[in-house]
Amino acid sequence: MMEQNLYTKKIIPYLDGSLSAPEKAEFEAYVHTHPEFESQIRTKEEELSLVRSMIPTPIIARDALDSLENELRESVLNLLREEPRNFWGRVKDGWEEWLSR
Amino acid sequence: MKRTEFFQLVQPLTEKLYSMAFALVPDDLQAEQLVIDSMNAFLLKEKKSVLIKMVDLESKKNVQLLRRTYYKSLLRYMCDIGVRRSNQMGEASLAVAVEEFQPFFALDAKVRFVMKLRFENQFTVEEIEEIAQLPKYEVIEKLHNGRFLLLNDLNSGVHP
Repeated sequence: MMEQNLYTKKIIPYLDGSLSAPEKAEFEAYVHTHPEFESQIRTKEEELSLVRSMIPTPIIARDALDSLENELRESVLNLLREEPRNFWGRVKDGWEEWLSR
Repeated sequence: MKRTEFFQLVQPLTEKLYSMAFALVPDDLQAEQLVIDSMNAFLLKEKKSVLIKMVDLESKKNVQLLRRTYYKSLLRYMCDIGVRRSNQMGEASLAVAVEEFQPFFALDAKVRFVMKLRFENQFTVEEIEEIAQLPKYEVIEKLHNGRFLLLNDLNSGVHP
């Protein structure tokens, strides 16, 4: 009974990935030898999927996404710009920016 | 790496970054701004390391690995900026922002972020430690508290 309580407490850490590798292996070995224990894991899995459903996954509108991507592109091109060494450096930068449009 | 190559790497992350930003600041415009500010903060700090990085972008595996690395770095900056911004918004404006997800937005900003990292992005606790700059026990505690408070809100009577 004590042993089962110990493993019951480990179900959530097992499901949320916070068990260390040896603990995980030990837990899986226990589950393998105690098939009745699986129903408890299923219950906790249902709880976790309930929790997942309470977390928003917003969808950004297509035009907002395009505009955001454009702004990010501008940021990347401006902030990662290396000081052009000469005229050809500036031409190369301009060409690179034009190509990435 | 060229700057255009870097943009090609991070462009597919835009929607995911927006989703993460929205968990911190539940407002369309503010979430978009947070994505941009996180990118800017990252670029200002990491410019050199990005530019000197030599990569083979022909290899799909390399691209995926590098994209994931940059995603985690961007999230680290987002966590830092976004948590502060969320705290400035105040609880009241957060709670009314998205009615459907009120219990989630009633949680502390860092708890929301950690929960998104775990439940939406499937990051391991170790990866979350690195992104949220928290010790392991705090990551576990935040996951535990978030789960408990959300389930409690449903009055399911289930204990974590």
